[in-house]
Amino acid sequence: MVLAALILILSTALFFFYLQVICQRILRRRFEQEFFQSIVNANRLEFPSVRRAIEEFDAPVDYARLRMMLRCDFLALAYLLKNAANVRQRYSREERLLIFYFRLTSWSLFGRHLLRLREKPSVLKLTAILQYFANVVGERVNTVRFGNLTAADYLLNV
Amino acid sequence: MVEKLISDVLQYGGYAVELLLVCLLVFRGHYRRLVVVTFYVSLLLLTDGVIRRGILDHFGISSRQYWYCFWLTDVLLALASFLVVCSFFRRACLREDKMWRFIRQALVCVFILVLGISSLSLSRNYSQLTASFIVEFEQNLCFTCVVLNTLLYLLMQQIESPDEELGLLVCGIGIQYAGPAASFALAHLTFGEHFSEFLIKLMMPVCTLGMLLTWFYAVVRMPKVGVVRAAAGKFAGVEEAAAGRV
Repeated sequence: MVLAALILILSTALFFFYLQVICQRILRRRFEQEFFQSIVNANRLEFPSVRRAIEEFDAPVDYARLRMMLRCDFLALAYLLKNAANVRQRYSREERLLIFYFRLTSWSLFGRHLLRLREKPSVLKLTAILQYFANVVGERVNTVRFGNLTAADYLLNV
Repeated sequence: MVEKLISDVLQYGGYAVELLLVCLLVFRGHYRRLVVVTFYVSLLLLTDGVIRRGILDHFGISSRQYWYCFWLTDVLLALASFLVVCSFFRRACLREDKMWRFIRQALVCVFILVLGISSLSLSRNYSQLTASFIVEFEQNLCFTCVVLNTLLYLLMQQIESPDEELGLLVCGIGIQYAGPAASFALAHLTFGEHFSEFLIKLMMPVCTLGMLLTWFYAVVRMPKVGVVRAAAGKFAGVEEAAAGRV
């Protein structure tokens, strides 16, 4: 009975560990350029400033405000992932997995906040996921062309 | 009704992904590089989609024949996945000859031990393969695979393996066995209540699907990244590792 309980605990922990490693490996994908900047500027997303504040200035975390900022960015990017320059109008498998990972990490952040543990690692993970989403959207938008113009050039000329 | 619908969707989804992955490995020529992975996925398709399906259609789900067939093929798959993990160890130690010599001996010992204990345990209980025995047996077998796989993951971290594809293949196997090991342990602890039985039925195809999709991603997406990185000269070992037969 003790062995079964031990196997249950360890296997569950390892299941989530491997799930996290897979997500981290997807997030390691290198893009040709920093596509996320244009998407961040165009949509006034706030996750880069959140990350900068935490990484560079080690600023104290205002949990409620930070959670709201990241949530809003996530909703905006999830919408763009599905609808911006996406012919199939649906998420890919890795995007679905990362959306699930984002939600899981949000719950983990909530748990850490309740238990008064360090929130910084979870926040950095959330911003990394958002940056990946912004890069994917930016890459897609960059490949769409209106005649000889890219979508970004077209918008600048309007 | 809902339970049956969920398990049917997962089951047929699993068959489709297995078939797709075998076709991808064979027709795109990845099988030369990933011999053992191709063998394992083909075996999975053969046992899951052909043998089990045929016996299920012929004898029915509540028959003794299907029950024996299901669990015995499951043991066969667990032993095959042990061989897959061994081949991953080989690939991880491609540039570590000394370490590989030691690991090879250790793996042979573990394999003989697992095979011996499994055979002994099965032959002793073959005439009365009760559900609780099978659950405990499978729980131990899956957990052995998870532990071995985790040791492989730690070894890869230790030697700072640059092989991204191998990393994902290892994670796939981890998902495949960690989920079922946990659900078998839960079934063991709850004495096979309806919920834990349903969890086993749900977790096994979900984790298999998870592994197949991870491998699919590793085979389809990762080589491109590997080539780009190797070209940038950041990871000199990628090409060698990618050329290694697994």
